[in-house]
Amino acid sequence: MPQLDPAVFLPQIFWLFVIFGLIYLFIAHSAAPKITQVLEKRQARISSDLEEASSLQAKAEAARVSHEKALEEARLKATSTITAKREAIKADVEAEYAQLTEKLGAEFASAEVKILAAKDKALDEIRVMSVDICKEIIQSVSGLDLDKKIVSERVGAKFEAVKENANG
Amino acid sequence: MASPLAQFEIKTLIPLQVAGYDISFTNSALFMAITVAAIMFFMTVGMRKGALVPGRWQLCVEMCYEFIANMLHDTAGRDARKYFPFIFTLFMFILFANLIGMTPYFGFTFTSHIAVTFAMASFVFIGVTIIGLAKHGFKFFKLFVPAGAPLALMPLLVVIELVSYLSRPISLSVRLFANMVAGHTMLKVFGGFVVALGALGVVPFAFIVALTGLELLVACLQAYVFAILTCMYLNDALHLH
Repeated sequence: MPQLDPAVFLPQIFWLFVIFGLIYLFIAHSAAPKITQVLEKRQARISSDLEEASSLQAKAEAARVSHEKALEEARLKATSTITAKREAIKADVEAEYAQLTEKLGAEFASAEVKILAAKDKALDEIRVMSVDICKEIIQSVSGLDLDKKIVSERVGAKFEAVKENANG
Repeated sequence: MASPLAQFEIKTLIPLQVAGYDISFTNSALFMAITVAAIMFFMTVGMRKGALVPGRWQLCVEMCYEFIANMLHDTAGRDARKYFPFIFTLFMFILFANLIGMTPYFGFTFTSHIAVTFAMASFVFIGVTIIGLAKHGFKFFKLFVPAGAPLALMPLLVVIELVSYLSRPISLSVRLFANMVAGHTMLKVFGGFVVALGALGVVPFAFIVALTGLELLVACLQAYVFAILTCMYLNDALHLH
């Protein structure tokens, strides 16, 4: 085994220390600090980005809350406006309705009076006509020329009863 | 056919002698240099932009870094942070050495030399012991006294603890060395079969393909094991038990 020849020990160990020392110096003073710096820079960037993100999130959350509050306020205001308007309209409608009812009532009353008057007038005319017709019928049936006054009295009595019926 | 162990031979490239000591630049040293150059290239090019959003290459470098940083933090705690460059270097050095050593034909794996692994393990062992002594002073030797053990058993337990502590550099170095030697030898042996069996050589060839995959895994795993054991030893030294 060539490894066990003592003659190869010293040159290898000498160069090992020289060359290992070289790479140690390179890594300790150049490569490792550079990597450390890059990693730290990245870590700093990540944490600052995260911080920024969380602050932005807080801002967004605040904006959302205030927006919701504004929305709620607007909704309340709208509801109260609608309620007030509705009340006002209701009052208006009621007033108008009452007015109209009153007006119509009056018209109804006057119309009723007129109708009654017309009816009475019509009945009176019918009575006069009935008396004439009855007198003519009696005359043509029995040949009796009754006094108009008597006919009028008799027919009138019947007529009052009919009229009572009609109105009752 | 060359011996399967011929791949571990050290060839002197530039003979060098200082004060009578042989410090020749060998193929082993060459591959150490290649390893270091590859790590520098990997890291420098990977991190050249230092982008906030990493590309693929940068991500690879960062993943290596964070892998070792998390491992060190989890096993040895927060106060081991200052030893991070060393652990990171150790891991990258062994990882790249093992992986570059997997290069067919040209590759030389210097982690398959006990001299190299033992030098690294001893360095870790001595360093960790010095750190422990500097931090805890005489209390450091409490490491060899298991808490809550019966007093009668204490002499035996202290001896066991002491032996297990002292065998750390051996187990640490032999583990890496043996894994590398076994894997590369096996690859070479089966490589020989491919040539020897002619048309039937596809069978050992398929085996080599599978074995290469396994060896790549072992290359990464052994680097990880070396690094995490170093972290554990460091944890013992920093926090005792």
